Amino acid sequence: MTEGAFEPKIVAFTCTWCGYPSANLAGVNKIQYPPNVRIVRVMCSGSVEPSVIMDAFESGADGVIVIGCLIDNCHYVSGNKNAQERVDALKELFDIMGMDSRRLRTEWINASERTRFAKSVTDFVEEVRALGPLPLKRESKGTKAKTKEQTVAAVKGIIEDTGAFDCVECGKCTTVCPIAKFDSEFAPRAIVLRAMEGIVENISTDRDIWTCTTCEQCNSMCPYKVDYSGFIRGMREEATAAGAAPLCSKGGIIHATQRIMANSDLKQDRLRWVKQDMKVADKGDVFYFVGCLPHYDAIFRDRKDLSMTSICESAVRLMNKAGVVPVVSNDEKCCGHDLNWTGNEEDFEKLMEHNVGLIKASGAKKVVFTCPECYRTMNMDYADLKGELGFEMQHMSDYLKELIDSGQLKADKAGGEPFKFTYHDSCRLGRHSGVYDSPRKLAASMKGCELVEMVNTRDKAICCGVAGWANCNTNVKRMQVDRVMEAKKTGANRMLLFCPKCQIHLKCAVQDKVHVDKALVDVVIEDFTVAMARMMGLMPQERKASTDGDGGSKAR
Amino acid sequence: MNGDEKVQGQRKGVAVYLCGCRGEISRKVDLEAVAERLKARPGVVAVGIHEALCSKEGQEFLKKEYAEKGFERAAVGACSPTLQGLIVSRSLEEEGMNRYLFDQVNIREHCAWVHADRGAATDKALSLVRGSVAKAERLLPLEDIEVPILGAALVIGGGVTGMAAALDISAQGYKVYLVERTGELGGRAYKLSMTFPTHNCGICCMQYCKECVFTPKIEDVIQNKNIEVMLGTEVEDISGGFGKRHVRVKGTDGTTKEFDVGTIIVATGTKTFDPRRIPELRYGHPDVITTVELEQLLVEQREKGEGLRRPSDKKRPKTVNFIQCVGSRDRTKGNLHCSLVCCTYAIGQAREIVKIDPDAHVYIHYIDLRGPYRGFEEFYDAAKVEGIIFVRGRISEIVLDKDKMFVRAFDTDSDTLLNIDSDLVVLSVGQEPADDSDRIAKMLHIQTDIDRFMKDINPMFPPEFRRGIYVAGTAQGPKGIRYSIEDARAAAASAVEVMKRGKVRFPRIVAHVDETRCRGCGRCEEVCQYGAITVAEDKQRGVLLAKVDEIRCEGCGTCAVTCCNKAITVYNFLRSQVEAQIRAIVQEEA
Repeated sequence: MTEGAFEPKIVAFTCTWCGYPSANLAGVNKIQYPPNVRIVRVMCSGSVEPSVIMDAFESGADGVIVIGCLIDNCHYVSGNKNAQERVDALKELFDIMGMDSRRLRTEWINASERTRFAKSVTDFVEEVRALGPLPLKRESKGTKAKTKEQTVAAVKGIIEDTGAFDCVECGKCTTVCPIAKFDSEFAPRAIVLRAMEGIVENISTDRDIWTCTTCEQCNSMCPYKVDYSGFIRGMREEATAAGAAPLCSKGGIIHATQRIMANSDLKQDRLRWVKQDMKVADKGDVFYFVGCLPHYDAIFRDRKDLSMTSICESAVRLMNKAGVVPVVSNDEKCCGHDLNWTGNEEDFEKLMEHNVGLIKASGAKKVVFTCPECYRTMNMDYADLKGELGFEMQHMSDYLKELIDSGQLKADKAGGEPFKFTYHDSCRLGRHSGVYDSPRKLAASMKGCELVEMVNTRDKAICCGVAGWANCNTNVKRMQVDRVMEAKKTGANRMLLFCPKCQIHLKCAVQDKVHVDKALVDVVIEDFTVAMARMMGLMPQERKASTDGDGGSKAR
Repeated sequence: MNGDEKVQGQRKGVAVYLCGCRGEISRKVDLEAVAERLKARPGVVAVGIHEALCSKEGQEFLKKEYAEKGFERAAVGACSPTLQGLIVSRSLEEEGMNRYLFDQVNIREHCAWVHADRGAATDKALSLVRGSVAKAERLLPLEDIEVPILGAALVIGGGVTGMAAALDISAQGYKVYLVERTGELGGRAYKLSMTFPTHNCGICCMQYCKECVFTPKIEDVIQNKNIEVMLGTEVEDISGGFGKRHVRVKGTDGTTKEFDVGTIIVATGTKTFDPRRIPELRYGHPDVITTVELEQLLVEQREKGEGLRRPSDKKRPKTVNFIQCVGSRDRTKGNLHCSLVCCTYAIGQAREIVKIDPDAHVYIHYIDLRGPYRGFEEFYDAAKVEGIIFVRGRISEIVLDKDKMFVRAFDTDSDTLLNIDSDLVVLSVGQEPADDSDRIAKMLHIQTDIDRFMKDINPMFPPEFRRGIYVAGTAQGPKGIRYSIEDARAAAASAVEVMKRGKVRFPRIVAHVDETRCRGCGRCEEVCQYGAITVAEDKQRGVLLAKVDEIRCEGCGTCAVTCCNKAITVYNFLRSQVEAQIRAIVQEEA
């Protein structure tokens, strides 16, 4: 290869039945194609996981091509159709992230079509060559191997910082822990104990460090105010340094998008959800931090009844109604919550620096959040690391209540049918941030709606089961199903919540098969902001029919 | 192999072997350079190059290495493992290596043969082998799955293929269920007046002619105690997996019957192309007939002995035009494929017409004459001697003018437009998959090809890849009778082979559930096309868990992608394995 010229690295996933053999035949017939193509055999094109494709890019690929059987002739009946759907969703994500969906391609080639194989990969190499290298900073991820002594010292530091030495082993944490209820081997106290005894050899394999949902039930119950979730967060960082990795949902694709955001300056396209009739600005007093909502619509495209961008749309419409034109930024990046809670401090800090700089540049005095995780992260974790950030931070529930109290936001237009609902306190909003009252007061703005409380409410609220997109499992599902059953028992037919992730997790648990009578979990789970905007008649009508609308986020 | 050979458990690391393929690879790839780079990689305990790993010497070399180097796993850069089969790993397996700990990447077809630049090819080979090493490091030692095979067979289709297969299987003492959709056995072959190029009859004339001896006879099938013939019956559903499949059939009278079989022969055959799909051929006209209808006229003439009579007025046709490739070799007007048998039978029929009426003018309009059979050339020569006129070129249309009919054809040899009067037009209709072929293919998960015919698994693959299902005869694509019968007998032999063995081992490349991560949501169950996954309650824990029926599972991995929690994965195509392979491929360092 000529010195200096860009030679793209292309990974070709080929199925065992058509893709791979067509390349074999191209070889047998000595049909030349560029050597940039690296062929990897999989059983079926339908077995290529989006997370693996993402990982290929993160590791150094500039283009990925998935090659399978002709569309109606899949060896496994319909694997290639599934592959096409997934790649289409991934392409959407690529475009949002600014990775350029042209770097990703599918080709359906029969085993005998050797010339087409060679032509397809040649075309693709040319296209990616023209696009240039994928501008990701791919430095090796902080493999600063620590000695045992260093780890012991670090763990000691964590114990001190979080007040874990004060633990008197009363076991109250275990009694309230939602995981310990289903996992008899799990006890928050035991992890602290092991750490205090200086046991760090198994830090990279200790399952319990990752099993904790960091919901802070234990923190709120602990008589000696041990910051248990902070302890876990610190331990995860040490465990990661020792080579451990969490078991991430969706194969880790969500964390990958966040790492890529941290290590690139890609030109994103994340404001597709902003409709013509919505008012947003580049500069102003109020910055609305949207978070990962646009990504989720692409990542969870296969899930029914899940529209994450309807949350940000609702929030903007509510603010517009109150006469507020919020700043929304196309350059916003992930807040870093998930990386922060899964031991990736380095990338978390990169994201933090970017977002703080971005908000400051906008001239905003106040930042508002719909996502409780973003809120907690900026309000507490950014502030912890950087001190005073120079702008006020407020969760949407507090902000909307403020707008209603000041008379700016008036519920003068009726929307949908009134309903009886219960409110789920998300841990990041409730126990972590202490926001309990505003959501309940907002209920009054929805005319005719009635709020009924669950047994476990406010600081006793049960966790949705997963934080930081890691370590979902069988027990978590039982927790989630229990929570939704609790909602159903109130007699309400709707469960409102503020956290988009709680919504995804709880819906995930009850939408498909459940181990209880399906009627017991038959509750509509809806975002509070969305419900409010709907009840105040702010959402366009076509939205209800869930058609594609005017260039909505589900554009195909 | 001596007594104190190293135990698997004590073995460590990955060995890398590169095959020069007697210059085929080593000419393009600098194997020494690749080996040098890989030696430096941690975890690699041995690197070797051999000019032909698959040769006897190469296999001895690997055996010796296995005895001396103490490696646990092996990564090999050589030819295509799917094209050539795992011929390289055989000796390692014989020496006791778990074959699941072996990975082979293709640096011949996918590298040496397709890249001219030696430097680039070497770089690529290095990265592919690096990927293989990374994967090999993470492979799991597994055991094959052993499946008992039930000694009974289902044959779908009672044409000559199905009958031949049924007879061969029953001759080995196995029960055969022969299901035929129509009310009679024999299929299209038994409706022919004769077969070509031997020019013998198709229907048994009770004289043991050469063709007849090799054609299965209906009486043989019906009298056979081991064969249960079900006429007017269709296969409604087939469930289960390799070794034991449950079959439900339904008769036209509404009765159903259920039984279990170990192997299945698919002999659903073809249907002929419907010439109404090409309007300019005027198929509605009584004197425009298909070759199949001509067969009937020839049968009638043979019975009555009053010469060939055309349908409209029962007159003897003086000019007969055969139109070849009707519905074949033209995607815009039917199918792209060649139907293979039409040239032979059209010439045969033409000669028969001339034999009946030596004064008849017979034209055959063809694109190319294709008869890849022994005796065809002589057969064709004889036809020319007998005065049959071959016109090369496509016909544009059949023109009906009052009571006359003529064929408008372009003779590409003389570059002239011909208008040939015609008393009878015969359309040589091609073959396409039988009506039910698609449904049967879906039911049995048989892949279909571009031409919609079923694809039999390449016989180069090990027998277990076929999972006890064999496609034979024209269900696979157009074929002559004797080739269909050869096919049937080969399929029967394969079926008998696995049934005789009584059990088959096949690779454990199947889905596997991590029960701590499974949320029992059932998405995997929903996407599985093979019914291999069931989500059921785990009574002990009070949760739902997915369970995989390893025999039904085909290892496609669709479930693995669907699972949001990655609780279900396919052995040796685990996400961690594939990811490691790709990282090693795309990252610069060795």
